[in-house]
Amino acid sequence: MRLRVEYSVGPELKFLANLDMMHLMERALRRAGIPYYLSEGFNPHIRLSMGTVLPVGIWGKHEYFDLDLAEMDREDFIYNMNLALPPALSIMDCQQIEENAPSLMKIINAAEYTFVIEAGLDLSDLTTRIMQQDTLPVQSRGKNKNVIKDLRPGIYQIRIDRDEAYDLLSLMVSINEPLNIRYDELQALFIEYGLFAKNIADIFRQGNYIKEDQQFYSPLKRV
Amino acid sequence: MKERLFRDILPRVEKPARYTGSEVNMIKKDWDSKSAKMVMAFPDVYEIGMSHIGCKILYGLVNETTNHLMERSFAPWPDMEALLRQEEIPLYSLESFTPLAKFDVVGFSLQYELSITNVLNMLELGGIPLCSAQRSDTDPLVIAGGPVAFNPEPFADFFDAFLLGDGEEVTVEFLDCVETNRHLEKAALLQELAQIEGVYIPALYEVSYHADGTIKSFAPSAEGIPLRVRKRLVRDLDLAYYPSQPVVPYLGIVHDRAVLEVMRGCQRACRFCHAGMVYRPVRERSVEVLARQAEEQLKNTGYDEISLASLSTLDYSGVEILVKQLVEEYGRQGIGVSLPSLRVDAFSIELANEVQKVRKTTLTLAPEAGTQRLRDVINKNVTEEDLLVAAEAVFKSGWMGLKLYFMIGLPTESEEDLQGILELLKKVKSIGSRYSRRAIEIRASLACFVPKAHTPFQWQPQAGISSLEEKRHFMLKQKMKNVKLSFHDSRTSYLEGVMARGDRKLGEVIHRAWRMGCKFDGWSEYFSFTTWREAFAECGIDPDFYVRERSRDEIFPWDFIDIGVDKDYLWEENERAFQRILTPDCRQDGCVSCGVCPQFEFEPFSGEGA
Repeated sequence: MRLRVEYSVGPELKFLANLDMMHLMERALRRAGIPYYLSEGFNPHIRLSMGTVLPVGIWGKHEYFDLDLAEMDREDFIYNMNLALPPALSIMDCQQIEENAPSLMKIINAAEYTFVIEAGLDLSDLTTRIMQQDTLPVQSRGKNKNVIKDLRPGIYQIRIDRDEAYDLLSLMVSINEPLNIRYDELQALFIEYGLFAKNIADIFRQGNYIKEDQQFYSPLKRV
Repeated sequence: MKERLFRDILPRVEKPARYTGSEVNMIKKDWDSKSAKMVMAFPDVYEIGMSHIGCKILYGLVNETTNHLMERSFAPWPDMEALLRQEEIPLYSLESFTPLAKFDVVGFSLQYELSITNVLNMLELGGIPLCSAQRSDTDPLVIAGGPVAFNPEPFADFFDAFLLGDGEEVTVEFLDCVETNRHLEKAALLQELAQIEGVYIPALYEVSYHADGTIKSFAPSAEGIPLRVRKRLVRDLDLAYYPSQPVVPYLGIVHDRAVLEVMRGCQRACRFCHAGMVYRPVRERSVEVLARQAEEQLKNTGYDEISLASLSTLDYSGVEILVKQLVEEYGRQGIGVSLPSLRVDAFSIELANEVQKVRKTTLTLAPEAGTQRLRDVINKNVTEEDLLVAAEAVFKSGWMGLKLYFMIGLPTESEEDLQGILELLKKVKSIGSRYSRRAIEIRASLACFVPKAHTPFQWQPQAGISSLEEKRHFMLKQKMKNVKLSFHDSRTSYLEGVMARGDRKLGEVIHRAWRMGCKFDGWSEYFSFTTWREAFAECGIDPDFYVRERSRDEIFPWDFIDIGVDKDYLWEENERAFQRILTPDCRQDGCVSCGVCPQFEFEPFSGEGA
């Protein structure tokens, strides 16, 4: 069977690189005694496919991977994995999916990033000024660093919430296709519009989504 | 402090996961309720320190079986060091983020002579005075163990105590003594600690020198302090503690796998080998215990590979059974077995084949020298035929490459021996070419021979830098296609040799070199030989003094350390080298009278074993 798994990565693990995260997951699968399937070939590996890369330095509340394994009860899977995982990482949900379902990398096309910002700044002015622009050119931080990217069409929503000592600025943005917006490009944008890097206390990814028309679905809901 | 690190500091460094702790299986004990508090400090980066078995053993031993507490700290990479200094954050332990200065004991693992500058750096970053004499009752005790501690003298100024031999025997006793005598002043505490077998307290010994700089006398400066310090030894590995749930790092480290220690010590008697002498006698762990440890470790770590470690794993008497058993048991789950070193023979290759049913790694053979004559001198009991048969087995089994280890600068070496290495590589390559249509790749690693304390070659001169460079050029002139030669840095090896046979006078030089910016000396991008040269010059010490040939009756700085092997035996081995007389493997052919078994009341091998 193929299982689509939803997990969270706490702030303690925000510095892990993608490969580290994958190894952590593989080791947890072995410790938990999950009946995973191995690939064929000379160098067999667990048939695990991680979703979108969680960048080094940020943590995430709703991340995903797909795993091929022998029949297993989903509640047992969640329970056994959570015993084997470090406290900062936990499996929240999982869902059996079709063996031929499209991969996470193919279907996830939006993500919400939250910037935790010192209270007392006029964030509504900042967001209004940003959303009023027709174009928001930013130097790309991706593979091709010499390109100027227009972020505007990829910013779908901005929301401001209050936490105790902080304001939370959340942006729903396009990732992968049609436009891959990175969190550090958003950060560069805020700085251009008057924020200081030191105002940003923390950054996390609220979730990964499938955008269809104007709706955002969880990858567990819309396979 | 943790919050500040995560928010302001770690996002700015390369590989922040080196500094966060909280790994799977980390043991964080309650600080206030624990007796003696020790931090295991490893004077190199996390990825190297976390790969070291000795530290894993001691960490588990102290935390799981005693009421003491042990945390971990590693040398910060220079980017992190700069931030720690700039932000005035002391070097801390990964478990509780406690500054090093707050521990009762700071214990360094000395695996490599040149890591000493990192020791000084870590002490300073941890807020601890560098020299034993400057540290008061309120400062931690700074101690060290590991193979380099068998000649502790160059580092005597910086440490309060050295723990000699197998750490699982002495560490807990040491911590118990620290705890019981907590009320004592430092001087009195050191006196107490000196009573523990295997503990050397440098402050309690005095050295005097002849005019030529060699040692005239070396003796305890107080009553009741032992004349010689004997190493500690685990008698039965099956009964010794071994961790069943080691810490599993988040980031990739050098040896990222489960490890079984199949045996300790080696009986092969290679005359250049330090580990082979200081870890005698050979002690094996039984296959049953190892199989159980494998199961527990794999279950608790989730690793996909298990390595069989020792100085010479193919000499472990149960290796064949163990490998087959592990492959059968875990191969289906995609868990591989690896052998760190192979013996130069066909049996080794067959076994490597067994292992490779799951995963392919590079094969490494170590003939060490290029001619039979020189292999006889160093007592590497390997013939050219052995090597060629092994190479044939390698390529027949489908490997496309082979790595070979050699040394240059060995005693009695001539151009013929260097040429011999090249000829050997040619032969190995031509064997490979017969079995493969694609080009095969031969890699040879050429280390510079460094005479070490407690070995038969401790009397021998070390080849100078210019002579080693000539040898390198000689070998590089003859280019061979698909044969890659890589040479160890001759200047690094020279400095290693100075420390390896050094004395107390070097403390000043080390201190100065560190002040002048030396650190991470084992890393070529940071090693500055020029700075070291200046440090020697400013202290008026000629480093060549330490790499010279020595006379039979010279008192060595490490003579007072008793590894169990007789100095007379070492001298005899040194003589036999020049007569090309081989010394057999004592487990195969009977006792060679090195002295270690009677010294520790072990039954010597009769020659019927293995």
